[in-house]
Amino acid sequence: MSEAGATQHRQLKISILRYNPQDPNSEPHMQTFPLEEADGMTLFIALNEIREKQDASLQFDFVCRAGICGSCGMLINGRPGLACRTLTMHLGEEITLAPLPVFELIGDLSVNTGKWMRAMSERLETWIHTNEAVDLRKMEERMEPQLAEEIYELDRCIECGCCVAACGTARMREDFVGAVGINKIARFKIDPRDKRTDEDFYELVGDDDGVFGCMSLLGCHDVCPKELPLQTQIAFVRRKMVRMGMK
Amino acid sequence: MNIIYTDVLVVGGGLAGLRAAIGARRRGFEAVILSLVPPKRSHSAAAQGGMQASLGNAIKGEGDNEDVHFEDTVRGSDWGADQQVVRMFVNTAPKAVRELAAWGVPWNRVQRGDREVVINGQRVTITEKDAAHGLITARDFGGTKKWRTCYTSDGTGHAMLFAMSDQAIANSIPVHERTEAIALIHDGGRCFGAIVRNLVSGELVAYLARATVIATGGFGRVYRVTTNAVINEGMGAAIALETGVAALGNMEAVQFHPTGIFPAGILVTEGCRGDGGLLLDGDRHRFMPDYEPEKKELASRDVVSRRMEQHIRAGKGAKGRFGEHVWLDITILGRAHVEKNLREVKDICNYFLGVDPAVDLVPVRPAQHYSMGGVRTNHTGQSQTLKGLFACGEAACWDMHGFNRLGGNSVAETVVAGMIVGEFVADFCASPESDITISTGLVREFWERENARIDALINSTGTEDANVIKMRMQDLMTSNVGIFRTGDALKAAVDELQELLIKSRNIGLRYKVKASNPELVTAYRVQKMLKLALCVAYGALQRTESRGAHFREDYPQRNDRDWLKRTLATWPGEMDTLPTLNYEDLDILNMELPPGWRGYGAKDYIDHPDTAARQAQIEEIKNSLATADRFAIQNALMRFEHLLPERFQGRNERLGEILS
Amino acid sequence: MSKSIDLVAGAGLRDKTRKSRLPARLDFLQSASGLFLALFMWAHMIFVSSILLGKDAMYTITKMFEGYYVFGKSYPGLVSCVVAVVFFVFIVHAGLALRKFPINYRQYKLFRGHMKMMQHEDTSLWFVQVYTGFAMFFLGSVHLYIMLTHPDKIGPYASADRVWSDLMWPLYILLLLAVEFHGGVGLYRLAVKWGWLEGKNPNETRKKLKKAKWGITIVLLTLGFLSLAAYIKIGIAHSDQVGERYTPAGVEQPHQ
Ligand SMILES: Cc1cc2nc3c(=O)[nH]c(=O)nc-3n(C[C@H](O)[C@H](O)[C@H](O)COP(=O)(O)OP(=O)(O)OC[C@H]3O[C@@H](n4cnc5c(N)ncnc54)[C@H](O)[C@@H]3O)c2cc1C
Ligand code: HEM
Ligand code: HEM
Ligand code: SF4
Ligand code: F3S
Ligand code: FES
Repeated sequence: MSEAGATQHRQLKISILRYNPQDPNSEPHMQTFPLEEADGMTLFIALNEIREKQDASLQFDFVCRAGICGSCGMLINGRPGLACRTLTMHLGEEITLAPLPVFELIGDLSVNTGKWMRAMSERLETWIHTNEAVDLRKMEERMEPQLAEEIYELDRCIECGCCVAACGTARMREDFVGAVGINKIARFKIDPRDKRTDEDFYELVGDDDGVFGCMSLLGCHDVCPKELPLQTQIAFVRRKMVRMGMK
Repeated sequence: MNIIYTDVLVVGGGLAGLRAAIGARRRGFEAVILSLVPPKRSHSAAAQGGMQASLGNAIKGEGDNEDVHFEDTVRGSDWGADQQVVRMFVNTAPKAVRELAAWGVPWNRVQRGDREVVINGQRVTITEKDAAHGLITARDFGGTKKWRTCYTSDGTGHAMLFAMSDQAIANSIPVHERTEAIALIHDGGRCFGAIVRNLVSGELVAYLARATVIATGGFGRVYRVTTNAVINEGMGAAIALETGVAALGNMEAVQFHPTGIFPAGILVTEGCRGDGGLLLDGDRHRFMPDYEPEKKELASRDVVSRRMEQHIRAGKGAKGRFGEHVWLDITILGRAHVEKNLREVKDICNYFLGVDPAVDLVPVRPAQHYSMGGVRTNHTGQSQTLKGLFACGEAACWDMHGFNRLGGNSVAETVVAGMIVGEFVADFCASPESDITISTGLVREFWERENARIDALINSTGTEDANVIKMRMQDLMTSNVGIFRTGDALKAAVDELQELLIKSRNIGLRYKVKASNPELVTAYRVQKMLKLALCVAYGALQRTESRGAHFREDYPQRNDRDWLKRTLATWPGEMDTLPTLNYEDLDILNMELPPGWRGYGAKDYIDHPDTAARQAQIEEIKNSLATADRFAIQNALMRFEHLLPERFQGRNERLGEILS
Repeated sequence: MSKSIDLVAGAGLRDKTRKSRLPARLDFLQSASGLFLALFMWAHMIFVSSILLGKDAMYTITKMFEGYYVFGKSYPGLVSCVVAVVFFVFIVHAGLALRKFPINYRQYKLFRGHMKMMQHEDTSLWFVQVYTGFAMFFLGSVHLYIMLTHPDKIGPYASADRVWSDLMWPLYILLLLAVEFHGGVGLYRLAVKWGWLEGKNPNETRKKLKKAKWGITIVLLTLGFLSLAAYIKIGIAHSDQVGERYTPAGVEQPHQ
């Protein structure tokens, strides 16, 4: 390169698993798109460019494009991750993208994590259970600052589904709640505002589709984009539930 | 043609829509929520910084109450706000925080004892009261006198949205995800629901409801550089506009956030500056005190954004590969603070810039951030012109932000508005007013019209590319209708936007499929977005003054004499290329806080003749009530409590104001 | 144990029939049996590898198990009892673990595909456990059955003859590999599964556990192979006298 400051951009090859279940003629296949890399290119930028310039039918989901909403989980070179915050410079020249498994496929890279998560929330009743009425005019109940932070730590899950897609158990057994679900139980369990007892939680996750189904593969823990302490939380819930089961 | 009936149709599953639906549901009405995406992915999740409510628990928030919050909000709005609505809001905000606390939001709490914080670039030790230990704490945010912004680390919106969404699930409220309302069904005076497109199958369904609530958030994506999510395209406001009956208020009032990371535009929270972060220029000089000696980095957003752009224009910016920017410095806060309290910021810098904000400076430049404008409603959230149509949240303009909203006031507004509007919607549904008699013919007419429009796009032999038009619109808006506005640039923008609108009627698609088809979506949305863009640009062109976020270089003064009014935009003719603008006066004689100096920014403005008179009146009332408590004085100045739903009336308890 | 009777917000948990406690117990049992077997295998290694210290050492330990030093007389039946207990735990453990196996080809293929795609160590290690467990089901059973039925035929010569002249060594090589990999991974998994030794920084702890796991496996495999080599060596040397029992020098004949 003779010109000062001009950078040589790599020529990327992005292979995408294409399939549109809406279309009876569609068959799953890999399609490769060439793309010139740009500075600071994320997969969000790359995919949009492909859609704008090469194939208008390509389906994928982005919302916040800032790594906080959990919409853009996909398999990036085989591993679940958030596409919007993946810089292409951290990947090789050949990149493979595929939709997250386990979830219902909408088309190409777009999957219905929302439906799965809602079902999970309904099943695990992921809300505060109490029958103490609050008077909104009165001062709030106190909480130890440390405890509030601990709850938030577990509340940070964005329901992206990466942990589910990374879990061998979830792939083999459709009804497994996944790390995301077990983490929710841990979150509500340590929250004193939720009046459910261990016995109640046992009803929700005390079986092989629940916490006892987890085989400690820890794929969930290792891919979680929010770095939630899934390993320790699953262990925590397991200990509590086993204690419950021994009574 | 499928028809779905419900009592309340809520378009939008963000904080505002969810809360309104919960309110109606709890009063026994059936509610259905529509959302482009799963509700927990709504852009409310992006709010990092926090939610304002005058709890006054933190030591730096001591003495805070509704009055202080009210003043801050009205000043922030540059007197554009409806002061009664602001009063309703500040009185309900503490209740909203407390409700969310009961629903599980892990608000950060006051820790008694000494704590080191950075204020104004200095490390100082503050001591929290024993009595406040364990109560909800607050941080500092721009434009506020007290530390009032409640937060959960830097994932406030996320925690709120998840708690709210889970409440909706607890109340068994169905959410029809991946659906889009593309037109409102109405007869010119009454709204009956919406025509809704299933984004996966492409099917059109008619939803009929007693009350329809627009809670679709902002329209930031009419700009190229924006902190908004890619779904924030303003479709709710647009379909209201397309009724030709409902009006959009103050569309030219668009806020720019000082710290979007450069060049991606992803927001790093105001909390960075609230916690003590500084803005540095190309020479690593802290420049804000030169312009705003009093508030410095924490002046209101419009002021800080403008000063940054001004400084860059003066050649003092830092030069990067993609252009000029300034630096945000949070290294002084220390790694522990950054990793604990500003973790999302750290992640963003790490993932999108490859820098570590605990040791590196962060390149930032203002980016479009918030739309003060939206569907114009009265204090109940109902459109003044289209009965049965309600709106709340960022999509609405019941007008508590005026021409500039304060950081932290928006998520607070979404929840408060959801609470209040939800009650009024329920009241409406409970009254005979809400009974609807609608012929299926009318429904079919709307359904067929929308179906025909989509068919026309798919079968179009047009040559225009939807993406190209959209990008041109976004560029125009960012360059000509941005932070600094001039008559010429605005005129040029309005002209070209009109051309684009005409071109957009001749779009051809490469991918001609009716079911899930991203290009088709871009095509029909860009037609609507252009109308919104025109409302913004044309409104800005007409408004020959500067107020809040709307800054005209050729008219730098705020002009209360001629412009203390709200812009109302309507779009009566389908083939029009410009909105019809009308203006609604703000009545100074009913204001609790007549126009004055905001406390920061330029001090010169043109007074309204009524201001002095009202000021005198207020003095008199205050003197005559010298011994009365603040509630009595407030009540004498401007009554508002009767406007609130009964459920949310009443005072708020504080450490210093215990309720019996 | 009180049943919470005051749930709201549509929970209605109390209306449901009480969920079976069995899964909790089975999960516990699976781990307990695994732990027992893993610890037993450590002891087993000490016992078997005593041959490395010499024939006398192993002889002594054998006699100890037969109760010689307690009763002054050998009761090989005692060994059978121990074997029976271990065999029982072994079968229980295998039975419990079987529940986790892919139950059909579809699941098997899904998991394999998943493992290949993820390239994730802990996931792959689970598959190692399944394979080795499956192998042990047969190999271990054969070994245990022999031990159960011939408890008296243990000793420096008897064992060596079995290893070499009865052609047990190929089975032992496989079994050794299987059991050490399986047990090593199993113990590591127990720690992460129950949150043992988590400490302040569980991620760091996990890395350390992983290292320790590999370390233990290597040490045990080395010991195991050395012992096996020792048996083979003795076995070859002793191959023309198969059936003869070892008598330590200067010790009175224990078998009468
Ligand atoms: C990066 C960022 C940070 C922010 N930080 C703060 C902060 O710290 N404090 C603060 O107070 N405010 C903050 N704000 C502002 C605040 O987050 C938003 O104003 C607020 O969350 C808007 O909420 P909402 O419920 O009105 O809309 P949203 O949360 O945007 O929800 C809109 C909903 O409408 C749906 N929708 C849209 N169109 C349609 C359609 N046609 N049909 C069906 N559904 C539709 C969407 O799917 C979505 O569910 C921030 C904003 C941004 C962009
Ligand atoms: C027939 C023989 C065996 C089979 C089929 C078998 C199978 C398995 C399987 C599949 C697992 C994984 C279970 C899970 O993921 O939940 C497992 C776990 C384990 N196995 Fe075995 N195994 C056998 C013998 C042994 C032996 C001999 C040992 C002793 C070294 C052992 C020790 C362990 C341990 C410690 C665990 C971890 C337990 C847990 O996760 O709860 N296993 N076994
Ligand atoms: C109480 C039960 C057991 C007894 C008494 C026992 C005894 C023995 C003895 C005496 C040997 C030496 C060789 C021989 O005599 O054939 C041996 C070797 C071996 N045993 Fe066991 N065993 C038992 C259980 C197990 C189990 C459960 C396993 C694994 C599943 C196992 C795996 C092995 C292996 C791999 C060897 C060869 C090891 C080497 O030489 O390094 N044993 N055992
Ligand atoms: S636990 Fe982590 S990986 Fe799983 S859904 Fe939540 S954020 Fe995503
Ligand atoms: S990957 Fe799956 S098996 Fe358990 S530890 Fe995680 S949920
Ligand atoms: S688009 Fe929101 S996390 Fe990627």
